[in-house]
Amino acid sequence: MLDLNWGLPVIGYLFLAGVGAGAFTVSSSVLLRGGGFSSDHFSVARYGALLAPIPMMVGTGLIILELGTFQAAIANGDIGLFFRWINLFLTINMSPMSIGSWVLGLCILVSLIYAYTFLSKESAPDDDKKGLRQALAWVGIPLGISVAIYTGVMLGATPARPFWNSPVLALLFLISALSTGVAGILLLRALFGGHNPSQKMGTQSESANAPNRATYLLASSDSLLIGAEILTVFLFIMFAHLTIGNPAQAVSIILPGGELATLFWVGVVAVGLVIPVLIELRYVIPTLLYRQPYAMPRGVEMAVCVVILIGGFMLRYVVVVAGQLTGPMGI
Amino acid sequence: MEVTQKTISRRSLIGNIGKGATLAVAATALPSPVKAAVDQKSVHYAMVIDARKCTGCHACSVACKAEFEVPLGVHRSWVEYVEKGTYPNVSRSFLPRLCNQCSEPDCVSVCPTGATYKREEDGIVVVDSDLCIGCKYCMQACPYDVRFINPNTGTVEKCDFCLHRVTQGLEPSCVNTCQGRARIFGDLNDPTSEVAKLVATEPVTVLRQEMGTKPNVFYIGADHSDESDLRVPGQYVRVDTHRPIQERR
Repeated sequence: MLDLNWGLPVIGYLFLAGVGAGAFTVSSSVLLRGGGFSSDHFSVARYGALLAPIPMMVGTGLIILELGTFQAAIANGDIGLFFRWINLFLTINMSPMSIGSWVLGLCILVSLIYAYTFLSKESAPDDDKKGLRQALAWVGIPLGISVAIYTGVMLGATPARPFWNSPVLALLFLISALSTGVAGILLLRALFGGHNPSQKMGTQSESANAPNRATYLLASSDSLLIGAEILTVFLFIMFAHLTIGNPAQAVSIILPGGELATLFWVGVVAVGLVIPVLIELRYVIPTLLYRQPYAMPRGVEMAVCVVILIGGFMLRYVVVVAGQLTGPMGI
Repeated sequence: MEVTQKTISRRSLIGNIGKGATLAVAATALPSPVKAAVDQKSVHYAMVIDARKCTGCHACSVACKAEFEVPLGVHRSWVEYVEKGTYPNVSRSFLPRLCNQCSEPDCVSVCPTGATYKREEDGIVVVDSDLCIGCKYCMQACPYDVRFINPNTGTVEKCDFCLHRVTQGLEPSCVNTCQGRARIFGDLNDPTSEVAKLVATEPVTVLRQEMGTKPNVFYIGADHSDESDLRVPGQYVRVDTHRPIQERR
């Protein structure tokens, strides 16, 4: 592996925190608004709720592995250093990482309780946990967005890393988090398909009319998000490329001829964005324009979700590595 | 020690470089960054490095290693060699490096635990190794790459102007050992000190001034050339960092 201060654990964390935060935000939003999901909204929210805390916790576990004190604790067998990260929660300051740690901790906590309200297979929109669930969802939307956006702010707050030092990066990470969150929910639905608790509540006929309505809505909103992400990637590159000096020099690492160009254009743009959005549009457009029944085969659906998730990981990988391989020009 | 302050924007600076002026010329032409660095603190430690007197002997690097028992592979202070030109017009110069003890330190503003901070009393940026968790955020934020993880403790370390010596009235170890008297240390707020006089009268430069960190390590006659100057046609530049990390970043 390259000699990087922030390596795979951080990359994995940025990706997983994004998936979890995105799923939490989407789940909360769908639960509160209902949207066009009608009776399916509860099932969609449930998948998102049950998914959200898992990647966030795994990612947080990963990032602890990257701490110098934790690594020294393993290398030297110094027990006292294992829990040095507690220091993060003994103070709060204006460092994006300090605010991020508190927000992340809070978000994991809230998403765990939120997931608990959905845990029972008997859970239904109007059961006794409704009040708690809705209150947590109101908190969940801002918390999820905060976690998704802070990762980009954290990287962006470093003028010494001109590749990261862009206001567009936080937006890019936010949109990527939402889109991978939706992909995560879609993937879970495809894997464990159709278990819809609300169907037991006598709304079966309604959802039977449009069995794929929820999947259609998720896929179309995901393609919308990916569209926005492509636009943001474009802005990210253009604003750096059109600047003179450090940002232009730094961004050239992902432009044709750069060290990470192949990884970026194949891994992030083609695999992560263009291919999945084209496949999704192939199935969404007939329904959207001609009211044809939506019928994306389950295998295709899973494949699309998997490549979107791979693309989300590749985005974090390229950004984190590129930022550390480039620096200010001159001395 | 009033110095006329002409603001030169980062864009125009870099624009000049792009036009083909070498970085060294551009940096020498910069207005002195002194005024920004001087404030009303009682003591304001600063260092002047006269690169014309440096012979690249690494005595400072060795003294620093010995002073702090710095582990293998990492450095608090080191010397870079800059070779440039095409025969017969060639030059070789030396650039001693250490923490710049910036007046606007990026590392301090990103530290999530408050482990790294700028001392009110003398302006030295220090790391509290009991608070540091080793998240390496400051290493990302530092434009000078002077911070490293001590493999023994897992916490971040860097040059602190030999705080333990300075508070006892001694010079930093690298200054003490410098055989060419290239390193001069002192209080910038004391107009009679050698650093204050040098900074007031010499065309001093700082590293990466465009980062806005307001460094307190000033260079006289430093060659700011970098490998990125290879873009200048016919120009040969080689930088040897004498560190495991061969690139400046």
